[in-house]
Amino acid sequence: MSITGTLRTVRGRALRSSDAQRPVEPGHSHTNWVQQRDGRGIWFVVPFVIAFILFTLVPVGYSIYTSLYNTRLIGGTVFSGFQNYTATFQAGAFWSGFIRVIIFGAIQIPIMLAIAFFFATMFDLGIAKWGGAFRTIFFIPFAVPAVVASVMWSFLLEPQFGPFTHFASALGFQGTNFLGTSLIFPTLILIVIWEWTGYNMVILFTALKAVPREVIEAAVLDGASLAKVVLRVKLPLVRPAILVLVFLNAIGALQLFTEPLILQAYAPQSISNNWTPTLYLYNTAIGGQQYNLAAAGAVIFGLVIVVVSLVSLVSRRRRGEFA
Amino acid sequence: MSVINPGVSAPSATRAAARARRREERELEAATTIRIFGIRRRTVALVTGLCILFALFTLVPIAWMLINSTKNQANIFESFGFWFARPFVLLHNFKMLFENVDGDGTYIQWLGNTALYAGLGGIGATALSALGGYGFAHFKFRGSKLAFSLVLAALLVPIAAITLPLYFVYAKVGLINNIWGMILPSMVSPVGVLLMRVYVSGSVPRELIDAARLDGASEPRIFFRLAVPLMVPGLTTVLLLSVVGIWNNYFLPLVIFSKNSMYPLTEGLGLWASHASTSGDQNIYPLLVIGGFVTIIPSIALFLILQRYWRGGALLGSFAN
Repeated sequence: MSITGTLRTVRGRALRSSDAQRPVEPGHSHTNWVQQRDGRGIWFVVPFVIAFILFTLVPVGYSIYTSLYNTRLIGGTVFSGFQNYTATFQAGAFWSGFIRVIIFGAIQIPIMLAIAFFFATMFDLGIAKWGGAFRTIFFIPFAVPAVVASVMWSFLLEPQFGPFTHFASALGFQGTNFLGTSLIFPTLILIVIWEWTGYNMVILFTALKAVPREVIEAAVLDGASLAKVVLRVKLPLVRPAILVLVFLNAIGALQLFTEPLILQAYAPQSISNNWTPTLYLYNTAIGGQQYNLAAAGAVIFGLVIVVVSLVSLVSRRRRGEFA
Repeated sequence: MSVINPGVSAPSATRAAARARRREERELEAATTIRIFGIRRRTVALVTGLCILFALFTLVPIAWMLINSTKNQANIFESFGFWFARPFVLLHNFKMLFENVDGDGTYIQWLGNTALYAGLGGIGATALSALGGYGFAHFKFRGSKLAFSLVLAALLVPIAAITLPLYFVYAKVGLINNIWGMILPSMVSPVGVLLMRVYVSGSVPRELIDAARLDGASEPRIFFRLAVPLMVPGLTTVLLLSVVGIWNNYFLPLVIFSKNSMYPLTEGLGLWASHASTSGDQNIYPLLVIGGFVTIIPSIALFLILQRYWRGGALLGSFAN
């Protein structure tokens, strides 16, 4: 490969010098010369492609392979076809996790995006004072690792000494257990909203800023009220950005792992080992050492995420957002 | 950097001016909006009040960490959570970060591991993205379309979905408890490649490369001496994205490391959190609080300093990762 590359370059160079002496249309000689040189570009791309094959394609391929086999104590590894897939599909634990994260996303994402959109609009219109400072503050949780965020919040909400628990009982809600079975879901929603609202807000703010001022001015000249400008002019124009955020947050919700795992230490009764799909996979593979079964689950889980991403990609492309 | 390479400092100066201009425009625009719509002072006060509320919500946990990192275990449990208490043991707590308190591991070692993984992985990811982005932006070769569609496909698969598959392979080839098992996959950043491709197309003019070729410069020389200096702002964004991604990654190290001495910070803190209630050590809760607090200080500082690299597009990329 390298030899042909060099040869081609040498020929390219020869061609180029003769081109320079010969008066031809410049455009033609230019493109010709670039194409001669182009074979070398592969060397720039090869390191990434190799790393990608080794650390993404090979693992995925190997998981699919593993998922088709079964390892028994007696008899070793035997081909089992789709047995692991049927087992996973029939495992209520796997699907209950999926349903849980879907409900989680269905509640958490709209609330968070509504808050983010409200603040982004207020900052964009300049109605709030000190908008720049607030934007920076709201964004800070993005710099906090999910593990630390979960540890912080589990301290704050801890049923015995947590300050928020004291606060709740001072307000008349004695014996509130934020980490108990009935409140664990809203608690996790609260934590995720804390982590991601600022990030979503900054993206919406950027999108709102990109709306041309002429559009707004025209609406104002037509006598549109503030609410109309926001809901009828700005909101439709940033809808693509909102759509992207919906999908990104949905994929994030599907992968919910760190927060419930950390909180599990404080609330083992509230969060089971199968609470989310990733928790199920983790506990099946690492805890249960059932590699083949976990591989089938991982393949299904990966497929679900790819499908969601593909839907997002198709819907964005249909809007002509990117080619 | 800017002294060595004046080509970089000039755009950054104009950028600062542009930023100042934009801020002025924004202020003017805000004033106009308020006037045009006849927004009352009360509305401004109400909205600002809501902002303050949300800012409190954002800052309360961090303030709690700050305050309670100065307390001993008894005071963490018993004293008022949002004010300091005697004895003031911040220094004592801080020293414990250098000791193996409950036998699970030492904070400072985990910090070193995290820095190593994030440093090497981040540099690797940035290098691969720079090379790949440059290659895709300026060259057409056999298979370039296919390779680029691989990048786009990779965007669809977050690292969390790859983690267990990686574990199965590592278990087979003996990469469990190997630092490269953590670093190498972190170097695969499809988002980085995509960002760099877009950045290179916009900031490294084709004519410049052609001119250098006419002067007889070799391709590597053109890349390192000509393109890389022009790519610095884009590279910084990619470096930040990947460093933060690795710094925050919890799932992959959790799965592939079983030796405490190899843990990164996230996993070490997670381990402490899961053992805190059963540890019985008098220092475990203060350790957890100050450990968490010391962990977030550098990342928050980094974010505030490098804020301008976090533009909308780059942010979207970080999420997809």
